[in-house]
Amino acid sequence: MPDVDAIVVGAGPAGAAAALELARAGRSVYLLERGPFPGSKNMYGGVVYGRILDTLVPGWWDEAPVQRWVTRRATMIMTGHQALTVDFRTESWGRPPYNGATAYRPDFDAWLAGKATDAGAVLVTSTTATGLLRDGDRVVGVRTDRPDGDLTADVVIACDGVNSFLAKEAGLYPHTDPANFTVGVKETIALPREVIDERFGVRGDHGVDYEIVGCTGDVPGGGFLYTNTDTLSVGLVLSLPALAAGGTRPEELLRRMKEHPAIAPLVEGGEVKEYSAHVIPEAGYDMMPELSCDGMLVAGDAAAMCLAAGIWLEGVNFAIGSGAAAGRAAARALQRGDTSNEGLAGYRSRLESSFVLADHRKLRDAPHLVMSDLAQRQLPGLACGVAERMFRVDNPEPKPGLRRILRQELKRNGVKVRDVVSHSLRALRTFG
Amino acid sequence: MSAGTYPEISFEARMGSVEFRIDEDRAHITVDDTKCRDCSTRGCITACPANLFVPTADGGILFNYEQCFECGTCYLVCNREGAITWTYPEGGHGVVFHRT
Amino acid sequence: MQVAACVKWVDLRPEVDRVHGTVRSVGGPGGAGWGISEADRAAVEVALQLGAVWSAPVAVVCAGPVGAEPVLRELLAAGVDRVVRVDTGADQPSHAAAVELAAVLSAGQLGADVVVCGDHSADRGSGTVPAFLAHHLGAAQALGLVRVEPVAGGRVRAVRRLDGGRREVLEAAVPMVLSVEGSVAELRRAPLAATLASGGREVEVRPGRPAHHVEPPRTRPWRPPPRVVPAPAGDHALDRVVQLTGALVERNPPRTVELAPAAAAREILDQLRTWGYLGADGE
Repeated sequence: MPDVDAIVVGAGPAGAAAALELARAGRSVYLLERGPFPGSKNMYGGVVYGRILDTLVPGWWDEAPVQRWVTRRATMIMTGHQALTVDFRTESWGRPPYNGATAYRPDFDAWLAGKATDAGAVLVTSTTATGLLRDGDRVVGVRTDRPDGDLTADVVIACDGVNSFLAKEAGLYPHTDPANFTVGVKETIALPREVIDERFGVRGDHGVDYEIVGCTGDVPGGGFLYTNTDTLSVGLVLSLPALAAGGTRPEELLRRMKEHPAIAPLVEGGEVKEYSAHVIPEAGYDMMPELSCDGMLVAGDAAAMCLAAGIWLEGVNFAIGSGAAAGRAAARALQRGDTSNEGLAGYRSRLESSFVLADHRKLRDAPHLVMSDLAQRQLPGLACGVAERMFRVDNPEPKPGLRRILRQELKRNGVKVRDVVSHSLRALRTFG
Repeated sequence: MSAGTYPEISFEARMGSVEFRIDEDRAHITVDDTKCRDCSTRGCITACPANLFVPTADGGILFNYEQCFECGTCYLVCNREGAITWTYPEGGHGVVFHRT
Repeated sequence: MQVAACVKWVDLRPEVDRVHGTVRSVGGPGGAGWGISEADRAAVEVALQLGAVWSAPVAVVCAGPVGAEPVLRELLAAGVDRVVRVDTGADQPSHAAAVELAAVLSAGQLGADVVVCGDHSADRGSGTVPAFLAHHLGAAQALGLVRVEPVAGGRVRAVRRLDGGRREVLEAAVPMVLSVEGSVAELRRAPLAATLASGGREVEVRPGRPAHHVEPPRTRPWRPPPRVVPAPAGDHALDRVVQLTGALVERNPPRTVELAPAAAAREILDQLRTWGYLGADGE
């Protein structure tokens, strides 16, 4: 007789959602967290999109620990001294049911895990799952690092993050290629609330989220900048192989981005309150492991469910979506008394029919496109060059035609039309 | 840097902004630096965001585990099988984020 | 015999203003970053060790809000027999909480023979609570310890940190209050089964006294009272300077002697007698 119906490893958004669904289905569930509180090991570089919470926690926007509601989204393309920004704002994202919010992950994750414990899940903090307990090929529990720390269950849900040692131990990852990962670094910079409101042109609890391309020097990647109530979060996402091949160190790249004339006026005068770093499963669909085996499911970052597709940078919503699906599938399997791989197959089919796998499959090519040399270096140069020529007044010279500017700028940035066409076609297939 | 702006903080001050509950008993990273001596890339040195890996004069690698973000970059980029052994620190220890 | 540890619920990483030194906590009590300090955890471990050697029950008394209870249950799982929380409401523990702590520890309630505290709380505490408790309980105090070894019969041998890297070895006996540094011991990890079972265990709650605001007396460095010195007389500036410096006044020049300690002591006493500081019989 196992100790408990289900063990969820990791009390991040995926684990909390899984434990919440299991507890609501009347199952006994232990939610293990290796940090002293849920969220203590977690960081991200963006926005929590809460639509997935509508069914899970109705009215979530009234109680979730949100910093600001994002009503302005901007994509900035920059070169060393230029920046071209597409800036969109809508007031409708600033009122219920809202769209996205900035939040501190230690606050947000602890809140969501609190929902699971309210529903009856038992949260065990400061407890690292060090390995799997197996009976033949079947996962029957986990070993923790507490004294007498073995724990058995009918089903284990591994939500143990991007490094998921449990999924690797179960043999669900065929191999790990560093090219599939990026590392994110971030500074949280304190500024008075009024200063943030003024610099970013927002009021009250409204905020801004910038995605930035062309700011990472010799390392492929991207940047982000968003507003919290009285801090800014500024960071970079950097390709691991390029960093390892002797690229510039992360904090130096971050310093350079903060000195860029388009960014410096936004961040200057602030005090760094916290520095943080985390690895991101960048490659999405193409690096996903097997999602289940006998007695175990994998969800969230552990299953590489993180969407890093240029203008879309999402992760928390995929974690919650996959975690909730895992929780429901596990509850159904427990009800039927079959938690073998076949019994748990409902998990994959749930994900297939939801945004979690649909978005990932559709955008499977996006990470390659975004990290390509064309998107990283040549297109920012081209776009900024064209914009500069378009807006420059060369009197008494007459205005040049767009076609001529394009031809000259293509040449100046070493961009081959052939590459642009083939990339555009791929992009159209991916994003279209 | 223009006048009137704050100077960039030192790396020590940057890392000083983060809370680490250090496990005095066990290092969760170990490096077998006999394997590092014939490693030509040494990706861990530039890639580790906490700058925990330092080359030594005799060709080895000196490492620290105390201010580790537990991100996993080092073992992911390490191209010498088994040179870096990396596990999570004991429950309750290691980095504790507050504002990320 | 009853062993007790005293812990405080604090923000483990408060913000300290670099200019004014004021301490501000981020988020209210019960926030994610709150807990009990390393020194307090060491105090609980020392209490558990003392309890094991003397076969005495171990209690933990904590000043904190209801949000502290999950952490206190962790202590129950680690082997503490009883936990009493002095309820400080939603506020941070105040000076009044220390009075309540002393009441809970006193003979009427818990009757603690040994109280172990952390030496400082993490929120820039002054480290005065242990001494305060010792005063209220009429107990011996051994504060700022870096090592504690239990000896049979309710005695401990302890090592205390002094200035200049020196150490003081001392022995104390019940009733006593000890305060320990965080490095003394690491709190043992609770077994998994006990951790899982601790969710249902009870934390006793005592109401805290309403915090009344007391303005602490202002303290200043001691300054000697001024002494009026008459201006030197003399018509010429040189005369006045000579008078001020006492350059031409006759005086006994200092005498340097090198003697064995006993002879030196005798010499000093003789000299003091000639100056009239001592009577002829050495009184």
